[in-house]
Amino acid sequence: MKILVCIKQVINSDKIEYNAQTKTIKRSAQHLINNPADLSALEFALKIKDAYNDAYITTLSMGPDECKNKIKELIEVGCDSCVLLTDKRLVGSDAYSTAYALAKSIEKLGDFDLILCGESSLDGETSIVPPQIAEYLNIPHIASASDIKVLDTQRIEVERKLENQLFRFEVKLPALISVKKDSAYLRLPKLSLMLKALCYTPQIVNLADLENFDFSKVGIEGSKTLVNRFIEQSFDNNKCEIYENIDDSQIECIANIVMRLI
Amino acid sequence: MEYFLSEEQKIIKKLAKRISDEYVSKVAIKYDKEGIFPRDILNLLAYTELTGVYIPKEYGGFGGGVMEMCLVVEELSRNCAGVAVSYAATALGAYPIILYGNEEQKKKYLPKIAKGELIAAFALTEADAGSDVSSIKTVAEKKGDYYILNGSKHWITNGGEADIYVVFAVTDKSKGPRGISAFIVEKGYEGFYCGKKEDKMGIRSSSTTELIFEDCKVPRENLLGREGTGFIVAMKTFDRTRPGVAAMAVGIAQGAYEHAVRYAKERFQFGQPLSSFQAIQHMLADMYINIEAARSLLYSTCRMIDSGIKDFSKESSACKVFASDVAMKVTTDAVQIMGGNGYVKDYPVEKMMRDAKVTQIFEGANQIQRNIIASEIIKEY
Ligand SMILES: Cc1cc2nc3c(=O)[nH]c(=O)nc-3n(C[C@H](O)[C@H](O)[C@H](O)COP(=O)(O)OP(=O)(O)OC[C@H]3O[C@@H](n4cnc5c(N)ncnc54)[C@H](O)[C@@H]3O)c2cc1C
Repeated sequence: MKILVCIKQVINSDKIEYNAQTKTIKRSAQHLINNPADLSALEFALKIKDAYNDAYITTLSMGPDECKNKIKELIEVGCDSCVLLTDKRLVGSDAYSTAYALAKSIEKLGDFDLILCGESSLDGETSIVPPQIAEYLNIPHIASASDIKVLDTQRIEVERKLENQLFRFEVKLPALISVKKDSAYLRLPKLSLMLKALCYTPQIVNLADLENFDFSKVGIEGSKTLVNRFIEQSFDNNKCEIYENIDDSQIECIANIVMRLI
Repeated sequence: MEYFLSEEQKIIKKLAKRISDEYVSKVAIKYDKEGIFPRDILNLLAYTELTGVYIPKEYGGFGGGVMEMCLVVEELSRNCAGVAVSYAATALGAYPIILYGNEEQKKKYLPKIAKGELIAAFALTEADAGSDVSSIKTVAEKKGDYYILNGSKHWITNGGEADIYVVFAVTDKSKGPRGISAFIVEKGYEGFYCGKKEDKMGIRSSSTTELIFEDCKVPRENLLGREGTGFIVAMKTFDRTRPGVAAMAVGIAQGAYEHAVRYAKERFQFGQPLSSFQAIQHMLADMYINIEAARSLLYSTCRMIDSGIKDFSKESSACKVFASDVAMKVTTDAVQIMGGNGYVKDYPVEKMMRDAKVTQIFEGANQIQRNIIASEIIKEY
């Protein structure tokens, strides 16, 4: 089984800084992390590989050259090969453009039985990219999966948990599944794989490598969404009131309210 | 301080640090309080392949040496020395096999130890033979294809939890230390029992028990080395594992120091942080100096041993003595800096102070180490 996992390198949300003029996020290589929901997706892929020896996992990322170091970490947990799609012309691409570029890359990389994505990225939070990739590739798609089970080489079972409901879908492969953050936690690396990663360089793909690529669909020009305004929210001014000398029954009452709310 | 570790060593240290910070730190206080053996952490070390760092490549390990073993022990000890010693005691049980095992013994046990499928232990000490190890009384009598072991061992780390035990017993009473032999005893052998579990001051998540041998049948092929070489097996093993105790001490000290620095910056008295008082600053500076000195001596010793040089008893003893004394001093000062909070179980430093103490006692008390060092330097000049 050939599995592809789309993994975005994003800025750690604690470290995000905005450029108010260009209305974009400042990217700095030091604060890059692999998007948490994508790593949940990767864990599902690795679990399939644990069970089926012939499973082969490729990862695909789109971003600047700085992403390479973070991509190495994917080898450390057991991915077989990693691809970075990088090109100056992609800068400023929105979800629509990104999905197009990723879909074209997937077509070039070969036939995959299963494509996994995280449900959304920490920095964009649109959740649009996975379904759009599936639309471009013309394959079925299920969003917000909480579990994936391989039934046989042709079919998988996908579980989606909502607040009071549980859906179970059976899907024919090839298919694209987007995975909910925290539905699985990425495993620890292994020493031998970390050594392998030490001298591993991801395969680099440029737009020139892709067939019949429509350049007018990517970059700032090709994007359909336009950021109008950035409003920075500051939590510094939040009022905090301190109550001293409250008695135990009051503490208990507050604790009960908090417990009910969480 | 930059220690110029190799890329591989840096990776080992980084991986061990991650397990220590993400997993060990979360269970350290609970396991200490309840005396829970850290099998879950050992399983993680097995999964990540850190259990095999010091095992030769031809037996399924990573092929590193004492240095690699020490890097793992040091990082685990930063958060819990009890977890670290549970890992290190397997190395103490594995080294006699690495050094003196025959091909069959190595093939049978080392790959499984490397994979973390076997936990090992080392059983030398007895109730009446601690520092004076050559006076052990457990006997092994040859009968046909077996040695029959009778006697008991005290203070055995990983007792009850380990799958194999390197056990020292007297095969010829008339020969003194030259009449001691080493055996590999597997859990489940007829006549081999685990006795009382010790209720210890520190490293409480590690298991320390008595072992009892009542006509225990050990197959002849489990004799390690030749008959009568047991004392040498033990001493040559200790030469390689004392740095492990030093690594434990450096790790404990580092952990306590990190807590103390953070606390000193956050705690305000007289309108200013504790870290603004010179008395506290000097304590922190001395901690730093001592820890770096201990680590430097430890890493130099490890490099010397791993380079293949033959005699290093003195150096191995020196790093154990120095680092363990540093750990005791640093943890005591960390408790002092944290005042009342340092003295209660809500914070980790009181545990670290209790844990540090054992590094001055086991694998040869510091007085015995000083005896070894003194006898060597007197011989040298
Ligand atoms: C937690 C723990 C785990 C252990 N794990 C193991 C294990 O896995 N396997 C194993 O075989 N053993 C183990 N031991 C035993 C350990 O190695 C001994 O406790 C240690 O060697 C000291 O022996 P003793 O306790 O009998 O003290 P003693 O020998 O009675 O010594 C008591 C004190 O007298 C001092 N002293 C003794 N002789 C001299 C001398 N000649 N000159 C100056 N001072 C002297 C010592 O320094 C010490 O402070 C463990 C011990 C502990 C506490």
